[in-house]
Parts: sequence; structure tokens; C-alpha cells
Amino acid sequence: MQSPSVPGNGLMRKFILYNGFIELAWIVFMTKKARILVVDDEEQISEIICAALSSDGYVLSRAFSGEQGVNAVRKEKFDLVIMDIQMPGMDGISALGEIKKIDPETEAIIITAYGSMSTAIQSMRKGAFDYLHKPFNIAELRTVVERALEKKKFNDITKAIFSTIRSEELLSIIIDSVTRILKADESLLVLINKTGKPYIAVSYGLDGQAREKSRLEVCTRILHRLPVDDINAITLVDEPFNDAKFTDIALIGEIKFAMILPLMEGNRLTGLININRKRPNAYFTENDTQRAKVFGSLVNLALRNANLYRQLQETQSQLIQAEKMSVLGQMSGGLAHEINNPISGILGLTQLLLEKEERSTQSYKDLKDIEKAVFRCKKIITSLLSFARQDESLMSPINVNEPLEETLTLCAHQMELQRITIVRKSAEGLPMINADFQQLMQVFLNLLTNARDAMPDGGTITISTRPAQVGDKEGVEITIADTGVGIPTNMLTRVFDPFFTTKPVGRGTGLGLSVCLGIINKHSGTITAQSEPGKGSAFTLIIPT
Amino acid sequence: MHKKILIVDDEDIVRNYARRALSSRGWAVSEAADGTSALALIEKEDFTAVICDLKMPDMRGEEVIKKIKARRPAVKIIVVTGSFSKLANPIVPGVEVYGFLIKPFGINEIRDIMEKMLKEE
Repeated sequence: MQSPSVPGNGLMRKFILYNGFIELAWIVFMTKKARILVVDDEEQISEIICAALSSDGYVLSRAFSGEQGVNAVRKEKFDLVIMDIQMPGMDGISALGEIKKIDPETEAIIITAYGSMSTAIQSMRKGAFDYLHKPFNIAELRTVVERALEKKKFNDITKAIFSTIRSEELLSIIIDSVTRILKADESLLVLINKTGKPYIAVSYGLDGQAREKSRLEVCTRILHRLPVDDINAITLVDEPFNDAKFTDIALIGEIKFAMILPLMEGNRLTGLININRKRPNAYFTENDTQRAKVFGSLVNLALRNANLYRQLQETQSQLIQAEKMSVLGQMSGGLAHEINNPISGILGLTQLLLEKEERSTQSYKDLKDIEKAVFRCKKIITSLLSFARQDESLMSPINVNEPLEETLTLCAHQMELQRITIVRKSAEGLPMINADFQQLMQVFLNLLTNARDAMPDGGTITISTRPAQVGDKEGVEITIADTGVGIPTNMLTRVFDPFFTTKPVGRGTGLGLSVCLGIINKHSGTITAQSEPGKGSAFTLIIPT
Repeated sequence: MHKKILIVDDEDIVRNYARRALSSRGWAVSEAADGTSALALIEKEDFTAVICDLKMPDMRGEEVIKKIKARRPAVKIIVVTGSFSKLANPIVPGVEVYGFLIKPFGINEIRDIMEKMLKEE
């Protein structure tokens, strides 16, 4: 979908990709000037207010009675209403009540006569942001208006941040908000991946790979320092090009002022937001730091929400997968037995005919093809049966390296033939796990076979085992990574589905990974796939003790 | 009495190719499509071996094997099964079987196991 009306700003355009009005409202909020409605029956006062505020760049509208004010809010959206209390007809307090009913998000400032404290309190109860006593000066007005709009802005941002639990969307909203709140020339959100490597999850204003690399390097260095310094603190770096810690980084000269906001989940550092200003003298003020603090805690909460949601989804899809597997398991046993008899017949009779046929004839070749086809069926049936057989497991305490080594011995020759190098990395202190030796061998064999098939021209399979934490239990983590063709991202979620295969017809049954998943589920473990097309795939198993 | 075999299987097509695979190698082959007729044949004749499917319309294969062995203790039993989990010896308490054929099996598999048996004798 293309955006017809959004200004030529790459950041904004991205939002159009997402559906839903919240994002559209967000765009409006991000790009517009604050709209203020002045409701006062005294034209002179209203004029003075409008003149002062429009010179500050706000967009102003006027109403001259409570009724008019309410109607205006009904028709248009305002960020702020400035309203006199004493008006003929509908008074300011009643009008405020109506306005808050129509649009609870509109902020209101009430103007009261000097000494009428009780009406001021009444209006605050009705939801006014603040009040001004007549006569007030313009400076006072400006301060109150700015504060009210600042509150509105934070409310809007909070709403936007919590409007989505989809991580991708959330990250974009976060970076756009922070860019706006802190008037950044560049901003980037850096997260830490599973292997502990920082990467840019989303960014604004970074043109070109060289710049991305430069900023990521800055962030990486700060990430290393954060645990040493105060992990929670906001870091400010003025003129990083003059700082020995950063001065050697390419393109560092562009950044005049940098702010780093750590992202935390509980006490764990999960990443950071880096906000850069390139303009001279645009240093970050105390006010900026305060805003960043508030914003940071909002972001941490929102990220945590998104994380919980993702975990929920994962659990759900695991349940669905487990259900699929169990149905297939029940079905496949009976199915295989039913098919076995006719398949046996075809195989036997074909072979009898082959014996009588001259090797040179077409019939001989055809019969050979039939025989081959039957062998393929046989292979599928065998997989199906091993699937159905998963019920019968024999659990005993084992060191996971043992079935792994045994499997490697089994297929070492094949790997050598295909010029595949096996790299073994085994960490010390692996706990024993309660597992079925044969079934684990089956899992490793399936994963190694897949890895081999992904590297027709040879390559490297790296197998690492290390202790892992599974909830409050100990466990082991086994990763089998190849340098093969990889799995396209859109297929990654389907690789564990029964009968899903990317291998050429006849090569795979599409059951290998389903069998692995079934076995690992039975061991209360997890199996996950990561892949980068063209670079390789990695399968990670975590099995509790 | 050498090289006499009984094939017990309710699938015509399986008995068909199994019989031909063996008779072309000099075996005298008898057939039975269910447990009852298998036991009737055993009562009358002596066989070197019985190839017996575990799935039968009238009785369990294990039951048939037990009865055959009770009547003719010397006969060698080859069990036909589609399931790896049935590859257990003894197949029923006290009844050792000579070997297994896993469906789908080809003519060479059935010939190999019979030739091996003859050599061992």
C-alpha cells in the first residue's frame, strides 16, 4: 500500500505498511502542530491569547460561548482547550464536563476570576489540567500551555506505545517517538541477539551501511561499559570525537551530542536506545534527560509486554504443533499397516517380473522404476512408523555427548564423501539428562542429514553442547549449525510441520523434523530453527535434566 | 521332507509372490489364508518352516504360532510383521522364532532368510 498524503519522510511512510487506524492517528500526531481552542465570551481577552500563542507556532481556533466550544470539539480534534469559567449560557464548568465526555484526551486550562478558588478546584475535579487566575500575564499562559501540551504529548506517546504488542511495529513507534521527543538527528534502537551480539533493530536518520556500522560500534562499546558503570543510568557523551573511547570510530565526527538510554528487563540489560544530535550547541538539557527517563521506563514496560505476548504466541503454536503431531502419530501407525500389504505385493511381483525380463528391454527399465517407487514408499512408511513408535521410549540418565558421538560415527563416512567438515564444541560440566538414547540418536541423525543435504558442495557442520537453564531447571543446549543454503524466512515456521519438505521430490519425506520435534517434546525440551538464506541454518535443542 | 514350507497370510497378493519366489528355488510351498486352515494343514503334514503373518482375520498370529510349535516343536517359524515394535524374541512366552520379515519385503529378503536357514542345518 502506498501513502498518498504523508510527507516525504521515510520514517513515516513505513507506518502505512501497517493496518489500523491507531497508526494513522499516530502519523497525524507525529506531524501536526498542536491545535488549541480558546473559549471566552470576552473577545479582547480571546484575541490576546490567540495572538500570543499563534506566534509560538500553535494552530488556534476560537469560540465565544460554552455551547460553541462544545460544538467545536464535537467537530474537530483539539489538543488543548483554554476556557473561561464565567460565560453567559453554558458556563465553563459544564462545558468542560461535556468536552471531556466527547474527547477525554483533550487537555483543558480553565481561566477563573481572581479569588474564586472553589471553582478552580471544581474544574480540576472535572479533569482540567490547570487553571489561570485573571489577570494573568502571557508568560504565565505560555508556561501552563507548554506543560499541558507536554503532558498531552506523553499521553499520546504512551497510548501509541501500548497500542501494539507486535514487536516490529512497537520498535518503529519507539524510535519515532524518541526522535520527536528528544529532537534527534539520528536515533537507533540496539538489541542483543541470542549469542550476545548487539544489532540495530530499528533506526532513524542513518544513511548507508558505513554510518550504521559506525553507530553500532559506538553502542557496542557503551554496552560493554554499562555494566561497569551504572547499568540503569542515562549516559551523555558530548563531542564523542574528542573522547578517547570513541575517537577512532569512522564518521564519529558527525555526532556532536549523544545520549544513551539503557533498556532493561528486570535487572537484565537487553539493549539501548542511542539518540544523536549533529547540530553544534544542541546539547542535551536536564529537561531532556528527565523526558528520556520517563520515556525509557515506558519503553521497558512496552517491550516487556511485547515479549510476554510473543512467548504466549510461541506456547500456543507449540500446543497446536503438539496436537498435530499426536493426531499424525495415531493415524500413521494404522495407515502404514494398511498400506504395507499392497506395497509388499507390488514389490514382490515387480521383482518376480524383473527376473524374467531381459535387462535391455523397456519393460525391464519400467519395472526397475516401479521397484524404485516402491522403495520410496517403504521409506515413507518406515518414517511414519518411527513416528508412531515415539510412545515407546526408554528413559535413562545419559550424557548427551554419547548419543551424539555415536551418531557422528554412523555418518562420518558419508560426511567425508560430501566434503563436510564436522566441528565439535563441547562445554565443560554438562549435566546428565533423562532421555531415550535411541531416540536422541534419531534426532541427531535427522538434523545431521538435513545439514548435509543443505550443503551439496560441502561445508561445515558445527555441533556445540553447553549447559543451559530451562526455567528453574538445569539442562543442556545442543546446536547443530550448517553453512548451507538456508531456509527462506517464510518457510521457517513450517519446517516442523509433518510432510513439509524443501528437498527435491523423492529425497525427503517431510517427516524428519516432525519426528525430532515429537521426540524433543516428549523429553519436555524445545527445538528451534534459525536460518539466514545463503548463509546457513542452525537448530537448537534444549533438553532439561 | 526337506524344503517344505507353509505360508500363512490373509493377503492373496503376498502369498502369491512369496510362493513363486520360493518355489522357483526348489521349495514345496503350501498356503493358508487364516489361522484355522493353517492349523489344519499342520495337523496333517510336517513342514521345515512356517512363514506366518501376525495379523489374521480369525485369530492372533501369536496364538497360531504357539499352537504350531506345540504340535510340531521342530518347525522353524518366520514372523511377518509391519511393525518394528513386534521384533521381539520370544514372540510369546516360551516360543522362540527363527527370524523376521518386515513388510514390505522383496523376493530376495524371503529367499535370503530361507537359504540361511538351510545352510545352518
